[in-house]
Amino acid sequence: MTAAGRWCTRIVLTGVLPIVGLALLLGAIHGAIWGWAAAAGGFMLVVLLQTRRLALLAAWIDGPQQADVPDSGGAWGEVFRKLSRKLRLDARALAEIETRLNSFSQAMDAVPDGLVVLADHSQVQWANRAAGEHLGIRLPRDGGAIIQQLVRAPGFAEYLGSPAGQPPFILQSQAARRRVYSLRAVPLGERNTLLVSLDVSDARRVEAMRSTFVANVSHELRTPLTVVSGFLEHFGDDNAMTGEQRQQFARLMSEQTRRMLSLVDDLLTLSRLEAEDAPASEEDIDMADLLAQLQAEAESLSAGRHRLQVSCSGPGLRGNRKELHSAFGNLVSNAIRYTPTGGDIRIRWKLRAGLGVFSVRDSGVGIAAEHLPRLTERFYRVDRGRSRDTGGTGLGLAIVKHILLRHQAALLIDSQPGAGSNFRAEFPVWRLRPQPGATAPAAGEA
Amino acid sequence: MSDHLSKQFDLELENIRTRILQMGGLVERQVLAAVDAFSSGNLDEMQQVIASDREVDALEVGIDEDCTLLIARRQPTARDLRLVMAISRIVTDLERVGDKASKIARMSQKLHQAGPQRIPRLSDVHHCGRLASDMLQGSLDSLARMDIDAARQVIGADKAIDSAFNAILRQLITYMMEDPRTISEALDIIWIAKAIERVGDHATNIAENVIYIVSGIDIRHSSVAASKTDEA
Repeated sequence: MTAAGRWCTRIVLTGVLPIVGLALLLGAIHGAIWGWAAAAGGFMLVVLLQTRRLALLAAWIDGPQQADVPDSGGAWGEVFRKLSRKLRLDARALAEIETRLNSFSQAMDAVPDGLVVLADHSQVQWANRAAGEHLGIRLPRDGGAIIQQLVRAPGFAEYLGSPAGQPPFILQSQAARRRVYSLRAVPLGERNTLLVSLDVSDARRVEAMRSTFVANVSHELRTPLTVVSGFLEHFGDDNAMTGEQRQQFARLMSEQTRRMLSLVDDLLTLSRLEAEDAPASEEDIDMADLLAQLQAEAESLSAGRHRLQVSCSGPGLRGNRKELHSAFGNLVSNAIRYTPTGGDIRIRWKLRAGLGVFSVRDSGVGIAAEHLPRLTERFYRVDRGRSRDTGGTGLGLAIVKHILLRHQAALLIDSQPGAGSNFRAEFPVWRLRPQPGATAPAAGEA
Repeated sequence: MSDHLSKQFDLELENIRTRILQMGGLVERQVLAAVDAFSSGNLDEMQQVIASDREVDALEVGIDEDCTLLIARRQPTARDLRLVMAISRIVTDLERVGDKASKIARMSQKLHQAGPQRIPRLSDVHHCGRLASDMLQGSLDSLARMDIDAARQVIGADKAIDSAFNAILRQLITYMMEDPRTISEALDIIWIAKAIERVGDHATNIAENVIYIVSGIDIRHSSVAASKTDEA
């Protein structure tokens, strides 16, 4: 028996049968006319009752509240109960879907790639948070907007219109300066498109740095090689030069080869520094001793052209002596090279504000502010001609920065054109050690 | 039937808007590239900016024609009419901006080829150029979103460009007074700065047109147009 059949039976049993029974009884006792009258009255009553409940149902269904299910018995009561249970279940399912949708869109917002769903390949339907950062598309503001109007980079509209499988579109962002995004359109169903944006700025920058680095190295090696090969051609021609010329050329050639050697040495040092994160070995360095060594080297490099001042008032330092010697030596030799004859150079090691500070101050040519942030880049030169004249490889400060980083120290540069420069290396307190041999009052536990 | 017709009409309007914004995208990039090339001295980039001016001109002609055709065929009213009218004005502004960009590029080329620099490439000019290109971008964004608040912001930003322009002028005057040999170079840089300043003005115009479209300051005109079509 079907459900509808069961319902019919129930209605017949509860509503129709009693009336018919009553009518038959009355008809049998008082005559047929009473029976008909009773039947008509009974059915009228039933119709009225049903209409009232129908009206109740209609009123309730407009704003169904769990609490006030209309109280009615019989078949109608069951309808109400069933309806209200269904509504309750629906509400629960809806709430569950909502929670899932929320957590899903939270997850989508956490995705670092920008995602935009486009209806008809152009209308923004949905976008995640990263899409706002990458493309400036934010919901709900841009819901329904046409993406070609918002992302106006030339070529993008053509890319969206082209068949799937094209290489990604590269977007130079204008909103966020100097960011580069790779955009890829993926078909989504028949008429929709998923636009995925990927931030490739860093990868691009690394790529650019690598290619400029190779170009720079080649250039730096090429110059001395050209000189040497030019001289060698002359050497082949025996009677083209005097013995004196020959000697002079040989001297120039060996100068150039020395330059190449020092460049290759610096490159090897850099690549070694980059390969390992930390120095191979560390020791407690006697800074007074190290500074004395630096002073001796500085004096021989300066050859009396500068006034040198060395002072050491700081504690000992924990680190790799060879590396630090090379870093400090680099700073000192830079100062000597860029300070004209008669200038002052002050080399200091002292304790300041809890930090160990090694500083080299010169009264040299100074550096303009715009060069300062880029000074430690490889082959970065403030003045190409001059720095090569003074014998630099363009890698010195890059090496210094690397070594200091390995010792958790910061390189700080103050400089003004014409007023000289001050290069400081600041070491954290835990690298400092009581100066050995000094009258160390606090020379207890380190 | 009428529903279908108006849908088609909507599509046409939307297409014109998309096309003008595409043109805007091209001009945006031109300005940015021109300003960057001025600072970096990148000759290729300058050449590209100058070359793409022709593309902008072609777009101007095309969009203008679209606007005329749309008015003739659809007789738009009210906001639609304002949109079409404003777009035909914005097209002119964008074309001018394109001209300014290629002017900046040509001047930069000339500066670059003139020999040794006596005046450093002032970072203020670059900064001013960035401001102008931000304004242009803001005005086009406001057109894409029909966003009055964004349009008002663009109009407000014009003051910053004007004061940046004045600062550049003062700096250049100092250079010229110190060393008369810098005068011709300084004059070229002034032309560039002036072109940048004009880009800001055009961006302001665009933003004003957006406000006109959305809020319809010229309600009189649209009602006149409406009554005319009623009579017809």
